[in-house]
Amino acid sequence: MNFARRFFSRPAAMFGFAVFVAIVMIALAAPLVFARGPFNIVGMPLLPPGAPGLLAGSDILGRDMAVGLAYGARVSLLVGVTSTLCAVGIGILLGATAGYYGGLVDDLLMRFTEFFQIIPSFVLLMVLVAFMQPSLASTVIGIALISWPQVARVVRGEFLSLRSREFVEAARVLGMRDARIIFTQILPNALPPIVAVSSMMVGSAILTESALAFLGLGDPNLLSWGSMIGGARSAMWVAWWTPVLPGLSIMVTVLALNFIGDGLNDALNPRRRH
Amino acid sequence: MAEPLVSIRNLTVSLPQGADRPLAVEDVGLDVGRNEIVCIVGESGSGKSVTAHAIMGLLPRGVTATGGQILFGGVDLLREAPEALRKRRGRDIAMIFQDPMAALNPVVAIGRQVTEQIRAHRPVSEHQALNQAGALLSQMGLKDVASLLKAYPHQLSGGQRQRVMIAMALSLSPQLLIADEPTTALDVTTQAQILKLIKRIQAEREMSVLLITHDFGVVADMADQVAVMRHGRVLESGAARSVLGNPSHSYTRALIAAVPHGESQLPPPPDARPLMQVTGLTKRFRRGGLFSRASITTAVDDVSLTLSKGETLGIVGESGSGKSTLARCVIRLLDPDAGEVLLDGADIAHMKAGRLRPLRRRIQMVFQDPYSSLNPRQTVGDIITAGPRAYGEELKQARARAADILQLVGLNPQVMDRLPHEFSGGQRQRIGLARALMLRPDVLIADEPVSALDVTVQAQVLKLLDDVRKQMNLAMLFITHDMRVAAQVCHRVMVMRHGRIVECGPTRSLFAAPSNDYTKALLAAIPGRQSI
Amino acid sequence: MKLRYIAARLVKTVLVAIAVVVLSFFLIRLAPGDAATVMAGQSGYADEAFMKDLRAEYGLDQPLPAQFWKYAVTVAQGDLGTSYVRRQKVTTIILERLPNTLLLDAFALLVAAAGGIWLGSMAARRPGSAGDSAVTVLSMLFYAVPQFWLGMMMVLVFAVWLAWLPPFGIETMGSDYTGLARVGDIAQHIILPGTTLALYFLASYARLTRTAMIEVADQDFVKTARAKGISERQVARRHILRNALIPLVTYAGLQASILVGGSVLVENVFSWPGIGTLAYEAVTSRDNPVLLGIFIVTALLVCLFNLITDIAYSIADPRVELGK
Repeated sequence: MNFARRFFSRPAAMFGFAVFVAIVMIALAAPLVFARGPFNIVGMPLLPPGAPGLLAGSDILGRDMAVGLAYGARVSLLVGVTSTLCAVGIGILLGATAGYYGGLVDDLLMRFTEFFQIIPSFVLLMVLVAFMQPSLASTVIGIALISWPQVARVVRGEFLSLRSREFVEAARVLGMRDARIIFTQILPNALPPIVAVSSMMVGSAILTESALAFLGLGDPNLLSWGSMIGGARSAMWVAWWTPVLPGLSIMVTVLALNFIGDGLNDALNPRRRH
Repeated sequence: MAEPLVSIRNLTVSLPQGADRPLAVEDVGLDVGRNEIVCIVGESGSGKSVTAHAIMGLLPRGVTATGGQILFGGVDLLREAPEALRKRRGRDIAMIFQDPMAALNPVVAIGRQVTEQIRAHRPVSEHQALNQAGALLSQMGLKDVASLLKAYPHQLSGGQRQRVMIAMALSLSPQLLIADEPTTALDVTTQAQILKLIKRIQAEREMSVLLITHDFGVVADMADQVAVMRHGRVLESGAARSVLGNPSHSYTRALIAAVPHGESQLPPPPDARPLMQVTGLTKRFRRGGLFSRASITTAVDDVSLTLSKGETLGIVGESGSGKSTLARCVIRLLDPDAGEVLLDGADIAHMKAGRLRPLRRRIQMVFQDPYSSLNPRQTVGDIITAGPRAYGEELKQARARAADILQLVGLNPQVMDRLPHEFSGGQRQRIGLARALMLRPDVLIADEPVSALDVTVQAQVLKLLDDVRKQMNLAMLFITHDMRVAAQVCHRVMVMRHGRIVECGPTRSLFAAPSNDYTKALLAAIPGRQSI
Repeated sequence: MKLRYIAARLVKTVLVAIAVVVLSFFLIRLAPGDAATVMAGQSGYADEAFMKDLRAEYGLDQPLPAQFWKYAVTVAQGDLGTSYVRRQKVTTIILERLPNTLLLDAFALLVAAAGGIWLGSMAARRPGSAGDSAVTVLSMLFYAVPQFWLGMMMVLVFAVWLAWLPPFGIETMGSDYTGLARVGDIAQHIILPGTTLALYFLASYARLTRTAMIEVADQDFVKTARAKGISERQVARRHILRNALIPLVTYAGLQASILVGGSVLVENVFSWPGIGTLAYEAVTSRDNPVLLGIFIVTALLVCLFNLITDIAYSIADPRVELGK
């Protein structure tokens, strides 16, 4: 397919895609390879990477860092993808309606998104998660709730600008019904920026999840990269690998997702005119 | 014969990798003598603009002069040091560009922009420079100079901005003025004024002017010498009168022939019952929200017209005249505030969407911008069959009919599987026309269908529109700002200004003996009307 | 300046503040766990009678709408209530911490803007060069870094290994500096947290500046400027940069708004006594009045920043008229 060729022609996108696939594989393989789970104590605490049997060393409680990193990938990917899907779903629905029909729906939506911009969103997220009791579900729901306004704004912007393009006017003149116009004319042209934003959103959802976990507001039954970093605060002076390795994992994952987003953005844009 | 001021010899300019051809201009030779106006005429992609930019050393990144000489008073500009070349710019050679809104810094006051040029070359104070600037602006025919100097570009009209640009260019009395399509972005009446201004100052200062244009009418009015360019080469050059009267190259002949004459060749329209009657159409736009004063613009003010089967009615006006808004109201892309649009007796102006939908088939539209009127992600086949399919027609049948219609508009049916970006502007307009014709409309509205096309392509598309009208016995509403185009395809012409109809009548008599002053001004503004 | 527009904006701000108060009040009240339970737990009593007294004292036994009305009235008078945990006035607590956050945010804004614009304009001058690619790569890295982790790494490198800068707090503990010495002490402490906060935004500024300058450089008026024969430096400054800065004004306003409510993590890592750490403490201890107070104050500040940004934008771009 033409699109695939364009996507993979950029080295950054290819690299991002490869890294992302690797991380997904690790996440899927974790319970098979490390059946005992990440909370299992395997030896002395704070052993450096390279110690016998410990590829990434051990943490402050003597747990295997490598196992923790692998399980952490599961949490990050799950939260990142799920919350983004929810946010994008809501955002497209509301943004498209507001952008195409304008009027009252549009006014309401704009007030709503402005409101979310004015309130400190991270504090709001903390409150939401605390109120729903910290868990995987509350993390996903909370992140989705504070992220959808951004998607809605992008979608609304795209629909607003596309609505007045001549080929959409032509469709109206032809007598096409609104729904048909939205699905066959506008949406295919609005998708590229939406897809690119979504990819970045998975990255920022992962960053947000790790921040919550760091502060102790994540699911207490799951080990996440953020909670690993949080747990390493007291030990970091003597065991640099305890915060560094999970942090690097987060960084690499988000970087890969951003590269993919950039690549998608380029690959999905049709040839611009000379 | 005196030495020419500028002598371009064997100029070759290359384009960066990936462009549609390797050279922008190839082996170009041209002379600009003292105290004369030289025109370079050509269509888009001819290299005329690149040549002008090369003289100033203003070629964009990636585009470089790789061969030849540009001699200015004996010095080769291509080999001059950058700093020396910079000193010449604005002082010895000045340039004005096509779009004066884009060519002025939007956040700096007009006065500052003029004084900036003066003070770059002369050691004067800001105050002195400002006085010089003021004097220049009034020489260019601008009024109320004091407040103009403090104003910003967006507060001026197009004509005023171009006069400011010219004033800036002349501020240091350069020997050569290069004007790159200086009137293309302006209204017809303003165009004529600016061209007259350029001619006057050229004569007053005995300056040399190099004028780039695509319009042979302009050449006829302005040029002493002319050079015709195509695909980066000079095809023909010489004294304007001889090239115009006796062109040697076939392309030159085609270019001259493509300029619409302003003489209607059409027979009077068949006397038929009116198919469409518009009465008292009014459309107002309201700007401003809760916290600022609302401003109401009346774009279309009590307009009435009739249209019969088989005739073409032209609606002519400058920008802001309301002609496009009128078209959009008739076709219900906009909802009119008042008035009727009777199509065979049924008033579609205020019909609800449900009742309107089946009637939409009867009026279709061809749009202005070939680059945004086709969905970039749909194949040509899908684009054209979308209309019939929305009404329930079977895909196979629609595609079969599409093949016929495509041939009617002069395209190979095989284009159905290709995407719009693979086609040129003229071809895209043909696709747009095919899309409109697929629904077998009775009325076709053409909104500036050829304004974005090159002159030779324009002529082809205009002929196509006229042929289609005859073959399918369409009633056509033709919107344009170009009187010459209207003369070529319209039986009757309606002139609009500020939302109102100023004059209406059969083309031939309107052009021969206009009664309204504005119509007279429009006709007088047509470039080359006297000479071609 | 359009006074009418400013007055209208202020009215709008009040309306927004009211909306914030209403929504936040009901949202926070919906949380399970009665404040009285929390407070009782803190003081060590779990006695039913004591809790009943507490509830009466704080009006928690009233129906919800009545509680809201009571709260709204006191807020309108400038009193944000009393903290459940500290027994202090919320207004006092917030006013104690707010200047620290504002100081940190101002530092971060300056560093991000200055550094980012400088890097971005360097990159834009030579697009496609090694320097340009380096700036792009660095930007992408800063987008992907978790802020709290970056802070920890900064502490590790600069405060522990190199021991150049202090690792936490706003002032050296137990010190008694005054005047210039105090300013110097705070300055030393602000560098690490301020830079950590700034780096994400610095990347954004760099990218935005680069894009803006490249786009502006292509415009016709830049060509006109060169055609006038003015020096390349003047072209870059007065024409390209001046126009490229316009979208950056909007971004600066956005950054200020994000910073005001979003410095929780950095303040936490560096133990910076600002409203970020206050918010975290309030969430974990269910100190609702403090939380509500933070929401309201932050919302008002953001509205103020938005107004300032809009005014600044209309000054930077004369084409824009206030009030659209």
